[in-house]
Amino acid sequence: MDKPPISPALKCLAAIAFLFLLAPVLIVVPLSFSGDVFMSFPPKSWSGRWYAAILQNPKMLEAFLFSVKLAAGVTVVNLAIAVPASYALVRLAPRGAEAMTSLFTAPLLLPTIVLGLAMLIIFARIGLLATVPGLFVAHLVVTLPYVLRVISTALSTLPIAVEEAAATLGAAPATVFRRVTLPMMLPGLVAAGALSFLVSFDEVVLSLFMSGPRLSTLPVEMYHHVESRADPLVAAISVLLVVFTLAIVIVVDRSLGLAKTFVK
Amino acid sequence: MSATATVAATAGSAADRPAGGGLVVALLLPIALVNLVGFLLPVFNLALISLQEVQASGAMTGGWSTAKWVSVVTDDFYWELLWNTIRTSLGITLATLLVSYPIALYLHRSSGLWRSVLLVMVISPLLLSAVVRTYGWIAILSDQGVVNSVLKAFGAAEPWRLMFNLTGVTIGLTEILMPYMILALVAGFGRLDPRAEEAAATLGASPFRVFRRIVLPLSVPGIALGSLLTFVLAVSSFITPKLLGGGRVFLLATEVYDQAIVTLDWPLAATLSMIVLVVFGIAIAVYGRLVRSIG
Amino acid sequence: MMHQAPTAMTIAEAGPVRGQGFLSLQALTRRYHDFVAVDAVDLDVAKGEFVSLLGPSGCGKTTTLRMIAGLVPASDGRIVVAGRDITAMPTYRRDMGLVFQSYALFPHMTVAGNVAFGLEMRGLPKAEIRTRVAEAIAMVRLDGREDRKPGQLSGGQQQRVALARALVIRPSILLLDEPLSNLDAKLREEMRNEIRDIQRRLGTTAIFVTHDQDEALTMSDRVVVMNHGHIEQIGTPEDLYERPASPFVAAFVGRTNRLEGVQQGATVTVSGLAIEAPIPKSGPVEVLVRPHRVHVAPHGAPPPAGRNRVDGTIRRATYAGNVVQYEIDAGSVTLTAEAATAGIGGLIPVGTAVTAAWAVEDTLVFGRPS
Repeated sequence: MDKPPISPALKCLAAIAFLFLLAPVLIVVPLSFSGDVFMSFPPKSWSGRWYAAILQNPKMLEAFLFSVKLAAGVTVVNLAIAVPASYALVRLAPRGAEAMTSLFTAPLLLPTIVLGLAMLIIFARIGLLATVPGLFVAHLVVTLPYVLRVISTALSTLPIAVEEAAATLGAAPATVFRRVTLPMMLPGLVAAGALSFLVSFDEVVLSLFMSGPRLSTLPVEMYHHVESRADPLVAAISVLLVVFTLAIVIVVDRSLGLAKTFVK
Repeated sequence: MSATATVAATAGSAADRPAGGGLVVALLLPIALVNLVGFLLPVFNLALISLQEVQASGAMTGGWSTAKWVSVVTDDFYWELLWNTIRTSLGITLATLLVSYPIALYLHRSSGLWRSVLLVMVISPLLLSAVVRTYGWIAILSDQGVVNSVLKAFGAAEPWRLMFNLTGVTIGLTEILMPYMILALVAGFGRLDPRAEEAAATLGASPFRVFRRIVLPLSVPGIALGSLLTFVLAVSSFITPKLLGGGRVFLLATEVYDQAIVTLDWPLAATLSMIVLVVFGIAIAVYGRLVRSIG
Repeated sequence: MMHQAPTAMTIAEAGPVRGQGFLSLQALTRRYHDFVAVDAVDLDVAKGEFVSLLGPSGCGKTTTLRMIAGLVPASDGRIVVAGRDITAMPTYRRDMGLVFQSYALFPHMTVAGNVAFGLEMRGLPKAEIRTRVAEAIAMVRLDGREDRKPGQLSGGQQQRVALARALVIRPSILLLDEPLSNLDAKLREEMRNEIRDIQRRLGTTAIFVTHDQDEALTMSDRVVVMNHGHIEQIGTPEDLYERPASPFVAAFVGRTNRLEGVQQGATVTVSGLAIEAPIPKSGPVEVLVRPHRVHVAPHGAPPPAGRNRVDGTIRRATYAGNVVQYEIDAGSVTLTAEAATAGIGGLIPVGTAVTAAWAVEDTLVFGRPS
């Protein structure tokens, strides 16, 4: 169907709005090549010193590695929990499946600051504050709803007749799941995994509540750095993160179309 | 018939199957456990904490008291904090709507690869830490930032204070919340049939009148949902207000964080976070009423 | 046709003895809460027979098929195959091939992978799987397309893959769930013959679900007409058409004129008209006549003996190429007649006074509640 032509006025307004939306991301690129000690724009001199500075900052490096490991671990556990749960909720459809789905995705509706505080208080009491298990559980709670939702959607849009066909051809339920259901869900699994990794990797509110001086994630370290110092170090890290995120987005988009996962 | 269960587990539509109870429980146990330990228990506990009795030293006695609630409700500081938060969040919501609408309409009218590219551009910031994006705004708004460099080049003597105040917080949060608004608006536009616009045009309506009489009314549900999302997220965000406000902007969420981490007054933090939830509830109720009145 | 499959025809004449069929459904019932989708269906199908389940949507034909496949558990009754009760057996042990309306091919496997799946499930040696897959693919004329994915095939080709996949396991019964309804008209006719030829060649017992009477009549040894979860009639295509057991069957299989009247002895009175019935009885009745059995002649022509006749005028003539339909206004009743066309200028103009006549034995009379 033909869409109505776009008026020049709308083009102009949209361009300005897009510029506004992308301004903070665009600005960190030149800033990261600043040769100055403090943040100022435009930089008085240019250099790659802040990229070198990342490598000399053990705290940032450690936090980065921990964030990657945390996000990867959280993603693996997320999938291991959400795939069986989705199968039960969508395919076995027990009584109250809808209510249970709402309950399991409810952590998304709660403001993270409230959830963070709630976890801080209870985790402090059982000694999980600033521990790997504490951060792990916190990240699990906020990422699992996304993963459950994406996988459930993927599962519910699979034509059930294909699984029935496999059964009529002699495949037992476990075989149907392994040979037919799981492979057909693969795009959903990739999307859910990528989303889980990125959400966990970027999570800052819960991490701020859960981390301590000796254990923190990259976004928390960056937050503390920005809070206390105005230098271009974070710009250099940001550029690397943008590249990192973009790489993941492009890989996922190539394999299944990211737009489809977000906008129905 | 016991064999019915095995048959049912093989395949068939949901209505056909009295699902094997044991299997369902086994498959749902892990997620239920995460939900209980990481969500239900902490949140329930939080609600209780706001009703705990506290000694002058800050230690909790284990007794019950409504003291925190009473002190919060009777303290003008918190009323001002609440009013500030709501006013700022409403302002942010309005600003976000105004900047997002042209993008959403443009996205709605574009198609093909170009649309996908633009959509990825809208979604990508969501996948980037709020810390990174706030840092970008510091680079733009600070005294040595982009805006003030330009002003200085044009001969301004004094830098324009855009940071460490509500202006900076509003600008930063507006940008950070834009993707949510845009996605809600685009989803709302889905219902907009281009033929309705064409029909109006053939009936003699100018492009502006087509927009005002056809496009705008039909996008109201998207506007309502996007505004609810943006408002609610604005009320509860504190990373951007903390960094762009530099400790000089006081909002409900930043106060919750300060009381929890700096002052360690958990009952007070719990009480304030319950107030955040009340604001949420009111916003959702207003939204529900609005949607119903639209029909 | 007769000399091609003499066994099928003899079976078709009689059908197996009740409860003795290769496939035997005995009081098979499916309830959803208080709705009865399939109500105590009895059916016996002989080995090698092609039986269609025909009926409007919601008549229970698909549910019956899904119960045979084990995809829907039976609420009551039994399913027996080759003397063995399989009512409680899970689908994957039933050894039946099912061709779905949507084809339901495995999108992530190649054509060969789809066809091989059932053989792999049976743990056959690799070499045998390879030969049998190749045979099956050749049988449905898809040689050279083994490595394509289903998404790269046309609808008709996907349909053939689905057929090969279901047949390669040499199923005890081949089940077909409206397999042709997603194809265009021309392809549909081609596939009808192809399915029937393959089924005959392999001697497979087949149950075919359809809402299309043409499909049912042209393909089947016997047709089961279903309505509201009940069987209305089981019979050969000829039985169904010439000796429908109920007005429903008469109306669903082919088109028919429907008149209401009262019978006394051999005469039915329909709003003042006297119509002769083949069998005498008395009471309120429904009279059914097939349009193409009604002959239209100029008014006043002498009626041949043994015929019912109605005088009227042509109100509308609908020309459809091979046939022309006349709507005849006979005062109190309206009749539809259908005649083969014969060259230019053979049509009777609207407004012409005519006599419609049909043989007494073509008059179907059913009792009706008064």
